[in-house]
Amino acid sequence: MDTIRIRRPTAPPVEAVAAPTFRLDRPVVGLRAGIRTDAAWRSWRFLAADWTERLRADGVAAVATVETHAQVGDTGANDRSHIADLADAVDFAIVGLGTCGSCTSFAIADAVAIEQRDRPVVAVVTEEFATHGRNMATHLGHADLAVLVLPYPLEARTEDDLRTIAAAYYPRALELLGVRP
Amino acid sequence: MTLTGEQVEVPADPRAFHTLSLANGWGDGAPLLPPTDDAVEAVLACTRHAPDHVLCVLPPEYGVATVELIATNAAMAGVQPEAFPLVLAALEALTTPEWNAFGLTTTTSSVFPMLIVNGPCRVPLGIDHRAGCMGGAGGRGSMTIGRAVALCLRNIGGQRAGDTSRTVFGQPARFGMCFGEWEERSPWPSLAQRRGFDAESDVVTVHGGKGTFPLADIHNDDPRDLLFLLAKSIAYPLANMFLGNADNGEVVLAVNPMWAERFAAVFADITDLQSYLHEHAWQPLDLWPAPNRDILETKGRVGLRDGVHPDRVYLAARPDQIVPVVCGGLGSLHAIALPSFGESAMQSARAQAVPVASQ
Repeated sequence: MDTIRIRRPTAPPVEAVAAPTFRLDRPVVGLRAGIRTDAAWRSWRFLAADWTERLRADGVAAVATVETHAQVGDTGANDRSHIADLADAVDFAIVGLGTCGSCTSFAIADAVAIEQRDRPVVAVVTEEFATHGRNMATHLGHADLAVLVLPYPLEARTEDDLRTIAAAYYPRALELLGVRP
Repeated sequence: MTLTGEQVEVPADPRAFHTLSLANGWGDGAPLLPPTDDAVEAVLACTRHAPDHVLCVLPPEYGVATVELIATNAAMAGVQPEAFPLVLAALEALTTPEWNAFGLTTTTSSVFPMLIVNGPCRVPLGIDHRAGCMGGAGGRGSMTIGRAVALCLRNIGGQRAGDTSRTVFGQPARFGMCFGEWEERSPWPSLAQRRGFDAESDVVTVHGGKGTFPLADIHNDDPRDLLFLLAKSIAYPLANMFLGNADNGEVVLAVNPMWAERFAAVFADITDLQSYLHEHAWQPLDLWPAPNRDILETKGRVGLRDGVHPDRVYLAARPDQIVPVVCGGLGSLHAIALPSFGESAMQSARAQAVPVASQ
């Protein structure tokens, strides 16, 4: 068969980088927790409210919440600024929710922003978007970012279902943050 | 000219090359032209950039887009060399942070870069702006420039449906979409002029468009009535722009030249036309069921900023987020909306052509 030579059209693979991760390695008592919620997802707002109560019951000193509303524009810039402020104000953070393509990308990016400030953090995604979330973390240079995977779909579930999921996955969130009893 | 990209030996037979390209995941399913050194060098001759110049980094996998690698994909797409500066301008525009390529290349939405070209290059490069401009006219520029951008996102950025892209449906424009504005038949300044460019520049504006949304009327000759209906139609309840922040996103409204003429008789200034459209681009809050209403209220989407109309949800916060573009055939009767992803702001860039004498 006759052949010709062409130039390969694909970019060389980017080397995966795993920036340092941070673990609490202690109980949460007396610590300041941060939770990133998202106005888009009713399910996540419910879970975040449930986990806020659980964190308080476990002795966390304060729970600060940032609710994100946008990806670009002034509102998006304010959201990113509030995430940076949150990272500076807390000892650890829980960032959700990745349950669509772009919202997973931004949830991971916000979790990375917190990890870049040397804070233990766990990003929360649903099963359908788990691979995408891990890929995004890798592409952002944080291949070892802690990612908690929740069942999918979360939407269209009853409050009882969500409460059950909240209870079942809260211990795993703490485990990924490195919380010790 | 020194090329540094990896060389690959491939079958000379076009059908065998097509089969190989499919196996390697290089393309969009349709046949590709082999990017031989001659083909790539011909494309590179039409830019001032050195082959190793890094134009941008393309998400979702953050591939480094050198001008040579872009030219390789442009050659594969069949871009004529003189059109290469438009490919570069499009990539420059869509990697502007406010276009949000990070989000748009990974979303579940169908959204994709839709390229709108202004300037003298439209005719010589075959960029369709008259009948069939959004598909079917068959201009080489329209069919290949958008495709080159799509191939760059795939081969350099690593965007692949079902993998790095979570798009649920995609859309036909993911093969590539590029059309021009029929400036000569527009009663208003061109899109590029409204965005700060002069009429002699070749400019690409990149819109994050979810699809082509057809609109038609044959019963009403009154321009205000027609614009009212267009405004109501683009503010459909499940538009992405109702999902996010009201300040973000633009909906492009492609208006045929006959309707444009009719509209301009009432709105000689296009900003007045945009204000009229914005004024009517809303739906009553009680149209949405309770769960949607809760989110709309939480997101501050109800009413206008000054507190008026607390029973309405406006498609956009500002009139300039509704963007008329004049194009299409003279058969009138139709318009097309290009609905926005919402979390994206359209971006424009000037194509930097090489003077003919130096090619």
